[in-house]
Amino acid sequence: MADESKGGFFSDLFAPVAGFGVTFSTMFRKVATQEYPEVKWPTQPRFHGRHQLNRHPDGLEKCVGCELCAWACPADAIMVEGESNDDEAGLRFSPGERYGRIYQINYLRCIFCGLCIEACPTRALTMTNEYELADNNRADLIFTKEQLLAPVQQGMLPAPHPMVEGMEERDYYQGKVTQATPEQQAWVEHHHADHADGPARNEDDVEARS
Amino acid sequence: MTVTSDKSSGEAPEVEMVALTIDGLEVSVPKDTLVIRAAEQLGIQIPRFCDHPGLDPVGACRQCLVEVAMPDREGNVKPMPKPQASCTMTVAPGMEVKTQLTSAVADKAQQGVMELLLVNHPLDCPVCDKGGECPLQNQAMSNGRASSRFEDVKRTYPKPINISSQVLLDRERCILCARCTRFSDQVAGDPFIALVERGALQQVGIYEEQPFESYFSGNTVQICPVGALTGAAYRFRSRPFDLVSTASVCEHCASGCSLRVDHRRGKVMRRMALATPEVNEEWNCDKGRWAFTYPMLDDRFELPMVRRDGELVPVSWQEALAVAADGLRATRSAVLVGGRVGREDAYAYGKLARLALGTNDVDFRARPHSAEEERYLAEHVVGSTPETGGVTYADLDTATTVVLVGFEPEEESPIVFLRLRKAYRKAATKVFSIAPLETRGLDKLGGTLLPSAPGTETEVLQALAGDGTSEHMGSDAFAAARTALRDPGAIVLVGERLATVPGALAAAADLARSASGRVAWVPRRAGERGALDAGTLPSLLPGGRLVADQADRSEIAELWQAETELPTTPGRDTAAILESASIGEIGGLVVGGVDVDDIGHADGHEALRRAFVVSLDLRESTVTPFADVVLPVAPHDESEGSFLDWEGRPRPYRAALDTTAMADHRVLSMLADELGVFLGTRSLREVRAEMDALAPRAPQGGRTDDAGDPPSPVSVPSPGPGEMVLATWRTLLDRGTMQDGEPFLAGTAKAPRAVMSPVSAETLSIVPGDLVTVSGGGVRVTVPVHIQPMVDHVVWLPTNSESCDLRALAGQAGAVVTVTKGGAA
Amino acid sequence: MGLEEKLPAGIALTTLENVVGYMRKASIWPATFGLACCAIEMMAVGTPYYDLARFGMERFAATPRQADLMIVAGRVSQKMAPVVRQVYDQMANPKWVISMGVCASSGGMFNNYAIVQGVDHIIPVDIYLPGCPPRPEMLLNAIIELHEQIQSSKLGVNREAAARAAEQAALRATPTEQMAPTHDHESLVGRNLLA
Repeated sequence: MADESKGGFFSDLFAPVAGFGVTFSTMFRKVATQEYPEVKWPTQPRFHGRHQLNRHPDGLEKCVGCELCAWACPADAIMVEGESNDDEAGLRFSPGERYGRIYQINYLRCIFCGLCIEACPTRALTMTNEYELADNNRADLIFTKEQLLAPVQQGMLPAPHPMVEGMEERDYYQGKVTQATPEQQAWVEHHHADHADGPARNEDDVEARS
Repeated sequence: MTVTSDKSSGEAPEVEMVALTIDGLEVSVPKDTLVIRAAEQLGIQIPRFCDHPGLDPVGACRQCLVEVAMPDREGNVKPMPKPQASCTMTVAPGMEVKTQLTSAVADKAQQGVMELLLVNHPLDCPVCDKGGECPLQNQAMSNGRASSRFEDVKRTYPKPINISSQVLLDRERCILCARCTRFSDQVAGDPFIALVERGALQQVGIYEEQPFESYFSGNTVQICPVGALTGAAYRFRSRPFDLVSTASVCEHCASGCSLRVDHRRGKVMRRMALATPEVNEEWNCDKGRWAFTYPMLDDRFELPMVRRDGELVPVSWQEALAVAADGLRATRSAVLVGGRVGREDAYAYGKLARLALGTNDVDFRARPHSAEEERYLAEHVVGSTPETGGVTYADLDTATTVVLVGFEPEEESPIVFLRLRKAYRKAATKVFSIAPLETRGLDKLGGTLLPSAPGTETEVLQALAGDGTSEHMGSDAFAAARTALRDPGAIVLVGERLATVPGALAAAADLARSASGRVAWVPRRAGERGALDAGTLPSLLPGGRLVADQADRSEIAELWQAETELPTTPGRDTAAILESASIGEIGGLVVGGVDVDDIGHADGHEALRRAFVVSLDLRESTVTPFADVVLPVAPHDESEGSFLDWEGRPRPYRAALDTTAMADHRVLSMLADELGVFLGTRSLREVRAEMDALAPRAPQGGRTDDAGDPPSPVSVPSPGPGEMVLATWRTLLDRGTMQDGEPFLAGTAKAPRAVMSPVSAETLSIVPGDLVTVSGGGVRVTVPVHIQPMVDHVVWLPTNSESCDLRALAGQAGAVVTVTKGGAA
Repeated sequence: MGLEEKLPAGIALTTLENVVGYMRKASIWPATFGLACCAIEMMAVGTPYYDLARFGMERFAATPRQADLMIVAGRVSQKMAPVVRQVYDQMANPKWVISMGVCASSGGMFNNYAIVQGVDHIIPVDIYLPGCPPRPEMLLNAIIELHEQIQSSKLGVNREAAARAAEQAALRATPTEQMAPTHDHESLVGRNLLA
């Protein structure tokens, strides 16, 4: 072409390999690739991951088994059944009258939309940022209450145990309960002595009762 | 149903109509209509809590406030100074009503009332069983303020408290609408709950010494507009929004209540009454509401079983049917059906007997019965429906006089009881009961007792119908009854217990005829009336066709496309079948849903032990230990079909649960296939098509050839010293197997007691509260005694209550028992 | 005792199964089977940011005959079902399937007549991956899970025995609908997922 300029000597020399220049210069750039799984980058805090059933500061469950999450779920992934707390039988899992006896989320239905979180009246159900959920069978992806329950943290005692002495249900929601009391501690030690693997296994007793 | 409504509109006098304006729309309604109902006719929903169409207006909640303007004497429409409660105000000509839709005043008033109602209402909707179907919740959304201005501490109560074993009360949720107390007081007649205290502390309370033991307490749970009353059995079991509802019909008695069966994930969670104005209005009894757990128990049959080496072992259907067919083919067989089965199933049992087993030995009466009863049923009851002039619930509402014979409505047909109570309250119906004692049920009907010892009912009926020269005529009650029976339109309700009293059924029919009234037979079990019309009786073919009539027989044979002639000889009834089986004359028995102890026949066990028994049942029963083949069938909630209620009105039901369990008619069809006969009852549609092909036949008296032996003169047994005549009937809640698995319901069953008169008690020197031992006929029970005025030398006990099983004696009217003071040593 | 002691230094013994598993897992080629939204995330896994090639999955094979792994990404409609099966049949053995996202795994929120309620109704699935759609890390996690599975897979008679054992175990297993409403998953119990 008329306006095709004749390049210099060097441009002619490197013309055939000019394309490698991009490659070459990239070699000195910072690597963009995320080194998953060795380096796990944190997700955004609002990321919708696996659910968690929270506890009150003394370890009682916040879930009241109201099933509103199950109602809100567009994918029908949640199954809840309520039951009465029974102080006499030593089966108090939450403050108030009712607790969630059965709580299951089917992670092969759940679309992580978070409507259940919005529906929860007690802030019992929240979402974590955990996302490594792949498994090799369908049954194990139905998560049950034990898996979903938040771990027992400092100052908490695993349910079942009585409410804090002198406190009502509403006091739990008003933040008046800050940690498990020595009375609760004593109760748990007395009642769960023969449950080596923790009182959460009392689920079986509940099953047998119903 | 159409016929009844036609009749009522044809007979009803011209109603005066009142024209008024609601929200600018003109409407004309009958005089005395409440404003709130007039608005409903226009499709205007005024919020309300205390208002209920089945209860008297009270104006307790004030939620239905509307602005009303009325014309004064000069005709000027003047507004009333304050909003008015539309649920207590009747319409007036020219009235102008403005609801919340057009009036800011009414809207503000309603929001204010709602705010006040919510002041002390805990917002615990998430844990409340009513949440999701709660009128307060819904109306707070539609007619309340979006946010609360209340900042104080709410009044709280410890909760919940049991007001009976099956009803729980959360007092803080109560908005004091008084629906429950009004229901108990007005409809059920059990005013065991009331509003106590005053002001903010007003609450529903029970009497200390008397728990809320009403057979109708479940209705208060259903009509409670908030979650203040909840059922113990349903507590926290489920939420309304994940229940699947099916319209159904109750299987517990012949009242035929419409029910809503709510299930979730293959399990029935609760049942509620469904409004059917012709039958149960909006109510049902606690048994119908709560006794639904029996098919969920562990002893439910899942697989067919055959007996091998004395043990029942599960086998395949093919094998079980083959064994059953071989056993039945080898011998003469008969069919026994219980009152549990639906009409279509009963039809299949009858057809199996006639076509496949070639016998008329089939009977649905798994209870004390008699040949006389069979004749009575064939002549007066079969084919009687609302269309053919049978007695209906609506007739009870308007009857002038009702005579109850061998029938205790509250215990044996609770909705009949509610209707009679309504008739007593609204139409001043006079109720007379021919019974040995005045029960609380009769008391609630304002009824009069015509005292008669068991077995003497015939005599009393004849005396009532007779010329007034009888010895009974001395008493005031008899005089009143005779006076009342002079008005036409009397209704005689006879119970199934009358079967065992010689001549009583005929005497009841005679009485009705002489008083130009009508008679209705009210069985106890739901399936009996349907089984009767389906021809599950030795002398009856389906549709009231007679075995003894050649034309009838060939009509049925043609319908069934029978290859051979139908058996001609009338068969044996239940008692005769058992007798024949116990001596080996009948070798095979097909038994469906029968509790052999209910029959009260001495040969029952021996007959089952000796015969080859094919048992169609859903759970382990008294027949199972004798069964050679067990074929599992579907329970009520898992099958489709229909009952006939005592009126003869078809009450179809659908399967609430979709399971693999097969209905009786289908199992029988397979059994017949195995026997080489095509029964044609595989699907419900086939059965119904066949049944519908038979032209309905109204009852025709005197069709049967012989009128039977004239009723033998009533021989009232004369009890010797230390002996008494036994009067007994079942209480609504007893040891019946269809109430198994429901401890909350069983908690309100009446405790068994022996009732006797002061004179009887004195002869045994018994004081109230003593224990007495009643024995006779191999039965011996010890119960506390209750003394009240009743027929002397008669002792009443429940037939089948806890630790009081007198079923062996119930078949014998006027059985004599020995009564001794003190417990059985 | 045995051979190990006589070997010169620098030589290690292993089983053939281990070696084959190691080779196989490091050179899986996925077939492209994007059916819906999940496919977008699956594509993202191929970008330099996530770089699927790090796992030896150099390219997405457009021909099933040259693919070892089918990533079913998205809801499988009833009409698509035969195609899925055909593509799977055309893949050469050994082959694996990841069911990516809840729609492929169980139908997800599309519980209706149009959608196959889980692709395992049509083809055997090795790894189920929840999420709607799963983020690329979740797919990578699923692939790593699959690698572990491949690494430990058996060969020859061992494979047959393992298959038989798996079948017996499956026959003995409690059906899902009869499982107790609460059961243990040891791996996740009590882990603080917020920390």
